[in-house]
Amino acid sequence: MCVGVPMKVVEINYPMALAEAKGVKRRISLMLLPEGEVKVGDYVMVHVGNAIEKIDQKEAEEIWKALEEVIEAMEGGS
Amino acid sequence: MDRIRELVNLIHSLAPKDKKLKIMNVCGSHEHTITYSGLRSLMPKNIELVPGPGCPVCVCSESDIINAINLSKRDDVILATYGDMLRVPTKVGSIRSSGGNYLMVSAPHEVLKVALENPQKKVVFFSVGFETTTAPTAALLEMGVPDNLFILTSQKLTPEIMEVLVNDSEVGVDAFVAPGHVSAIVGSKAWEIFPKNYGIPTVVAGFEPENLLLAIVKILYQIKKGKAELENVYKGVVKPEGNRRAQELIYKYFYKTSVNWRGIGYIPDSGLELKEEYGYLDAKKVFNLPEIKEEKVPGCICHEIVLGKSYPTDCKLFKKVCTPRNPKGPCMVSHEGACNIWYRFS
Ligand code: SF4
Repeated sequence: MCVGVPMKVVEINYPMALAEAKGVKRRISLMLLPEGEVKVGDYVMVHVGNAIEKIDQKEAEEIWKALEEVIEAMEGGS
Repeated sequence: MDRIRELVNLIHSLAPKDKKLKIMNVCGSHEHTITYSGLRSLMPKNIELVPGPGCPVCVCSESDIINAINLSKRDDVILATYGDMLRVPTKVGSIRSSGGNYLMVSAPHEVLKVALENPQKKVVFFSVGFETTTAPTAALLEMGVPDNLFILTSQKLTPEIMEVLVNDSEVGVDAFVAPGHVSAIVGSKAWEIFPKNYGIPTVVAGFEPENLLLAIVKILYQIKKGKAELENVYKGVVKPEGNRRAQELIYKYFYKTSVNWRGIGYIPDSGLELKEEYGYLDAKKVFNLPEIKEEKVPGCICHEIVLGKSYPTDCKLFKKVCTPRNPKGPCMVSHEGACNIWYRFS
């Protein structure tokens, strides 16, 4: 439950938003970031459905690359 | 891969020849990367990478879980919590094995819908975790919650338990790799006390193997120079001051107090409870929940593993009796628990 996942924000209806990662869309909350800080197209680090920080695209991609393996292993695990 | 080899070579050349070093991580995801990527086997013999208190599920008090189980057995209650919590064993079974009215959520705001769709029920959100889950629970409260939604809190604080560890001579931590996402909330500054007051090199790291290795390199550089500093190799996500709004929201709804760590006991100021003025949301008050005496699981040394005093392989039950399918102790349940991680990857 503590795995953070970078996601791209595709729609905002503050404090809620729709975010996407690897084709999977999820409703997330932007409540932990001030209104207006995140725009559509921005990347955020998401923890239990909440954006905890805005990050840049390069950072998001790097983390995704490393996470993919980890998440696969976690889901494949028991 | 080349970069990894380069970093590993650097670690070997920087490692002190004459003494042992215990580098502790306090995050389940760090431990996951270390074990899954086999980083331990790449280290010089005298460098120990120790998992510390990085698994909230593992330290959630048995009393809180039993209270959650009892609530889920009431006809008028729906208990909602994170998936990891459902299988944690207690002396009366787990939330799942008790067969009550429970529901798994992956985000706190999902309970809003549950509460709105079930107005005749009382929905209790069992909120467990460190700062990365506390802030989302505070965010949920800030959104405004319906009258039939209550919070059962079991929230713990990372910097505070780390301070307990450094004061425990039995543990003997030489350096910390500080958790990336907890740091995103509390800020890298929250760890300043470790180098400053205790002379312990501390580096904030992310979760890629390369980033973790870089943190270890930074630690070894500091030790070589005879310095203890705070460094951050996860700057793209972690700011020195952290997420101010998240901190404000946490302390708008919660206050710091002594809380019970499973197998360890009460530690002053190491957790959070809902403030007096939000007592109407607090399941402990609304349902008058008692403190239930904890019973140690015979043979389970999870509490020692969490404090970095033992490894999963030191437990006689590990892999033989205790497995992810049939967990005897909390460290085998969660994907962040050291026993679970070591079972799956080593
Ligand atoms: S292997 Fe199981 S019984 Fe042993 S310490 Fe880990 S969780 Fe406890």
